[in-house]
Amino acid sequence: MPEMPEISQLPDVAITNCAAAVGAFFAGAFTELDGWRQALSNGDTEVRPAELDARVEALVRPALNDASPLFVGAGFIAAPGYVRGRDIHFAWWLGPQAGNSLLGSSSTATRLDLATRAYTDYVRDFRTLEWYQVPQSTNQTHVTGPYVDHLCTCEYIFTLTMPVRIGTDTPMLGVVGADVSVRRLESMVLPLFLAADQPLALVNAVDRVVISTEPTVQVGQLTAHSGNFMACSGLPFRVLVSPDSLPRF
Amino acid sequence: MEAYNRPGAREAIFAQLVDAGRTEQVTARLTDAIILGVLAPDERLPSESDLARRFGVALITVREGLSVLRDAGLVETRRGRGGGSFVMKADAPHSTLVQARLHGLAQVDLSDMAVYFATVVEGCAQRAALRASEPDSDRLDLWLRGADFASVAGARTNAGGFYLELAVLSQSARLVRELIRLQAEFGPLLLLGMTDARTRRSLLESNHAIADAVRTNDDAAARQFATEQVRILAEWLLNAKARIERGGAWDA
Repeated sequence: MPEMPEISQLPDVAITNCAAAVGAFFAGAFTELDGWRQALSNGDTEVRPAELDARVEALVRPALNDASPLFVGAGFIAAPGYVRGRDIHFAWWLGPQAGNSLLGSSSTATRLDLATRAYTDYVRDFRTLEWYQVPQSTNQTHVTGPYVDHLCTCEYIFTLTMPVRIGTDTPMLGVVGADVSVRRLESMVLPLFLAADQPLALVNAVDRVVISTEPTVQVGQLTAHSGNFMACSGLPFRVLVSPDSLPRF
Repeated sequence: MEAYNRPGAREAIFAQLVDAGRTEQVTARLTDAIILGVLAPDERLPSESDLARRFGVALITVREGLSVLRDAGLVETRRGRGGGSFVMKADAPHSTLVQARLHGLAQVDLSDMAVYFATVVEGCAQRAALRASEPDSDRLDLWLRGADFASVAGARTNAGGFYLELAVLSQSARLVRELIRLQAEFGPLLLLGMTDARTRRSLLESNHAIADAVRTNDDAAARQFATEQVRILAEWLLNAKARIERGGAWDA
């Protein structure tokens, strides 16, 4: 079957700008992750837990404590065997929280505590979770979401992950990752979406709406779009032109 | 993070408290979770400082609360490496305490809590059915197939876990937060019926029906099954209350 053309008319500059801005937003975030990835792939194939934690914390804490942080959480999830004596090791920090309904308030970045049994149950199968499994199997960066993060922030977020390896044919040491709120992306790109002549919507790979300037097509819902769109290069996102709501909404 | 075994339902036990009578609230939240079986015997509670942060109270308030629980024989404090506060093994289920708790709550408040809880769960189920993608439905089915509803402890944990799954599928952060808060306040009581094997079976059937409705994006059906499910749990609870008030046992 021939591929649907990305856009059937001459691309509108405003729409191109939207797709480019979304691309630039995530590219900026992944640049930061790539710095962490390089710092963590320093040649050791095994590491002591305390040593790894100190290294990850030194990398992510400045980013999380920034006056206007891009990330609401960040860290490193180790592959089994990398951290000595541990099958599962999360070195994950949360940014300052104001009245987090699960974890309380804090004025500085705090370590995610996985000690309680419920979290242990959750992370037992972390290898099957999208944010870990996809970068592992594709050896590519991945954006999971948007989804409501019930584990840490209770916010509507994306999780960005990137595989960490020493060489090309070696096993993955783990993934570096960061959570970004949908709100943050919106604040950066919505003005560009509003500048277009037609209503637009940003959707993810399952056509879930992330940003919309068409009030009948709301954030969080699915679309059934068959019209024009522009893909965000290298990302599982598209900008839909005059998006259609699914009939049932 | 798509799951398998979302922790929020149980973690809600430790969610932030409102202002008034904070020591009493710490005590009540943990007592309910222990006597109604959401926290299991031998389970380690989060550290005192972690509890203080999560409840949003002072350390001294947590210490006072834990001391009340120790005096009541619900937790014990172990010293040294791997120490902390642990849920005590009860010789018998905490029947007397459950009885006292149910006696202390007015029927009108139990009914009212059930109405509010049902309203939130119905909303979660309906929105989940409207908004779930096919991979979402696959994950929900996988979760449900892997969840234990046969044992009392498993059913207690997973009944709340299923509500959280639905809330997450609604894509609404506010619904997730409100469900977590409500489960902390009312979940352990509402799920008292999980001690009854027939109620556990009917709940599991109902959850499968909701998952099927989510897959077919049948929001009306998802809502309807959620309504009926919470009604069954509320009726069980009100029956237990009535048995106690007539001088019987709640689990007779």
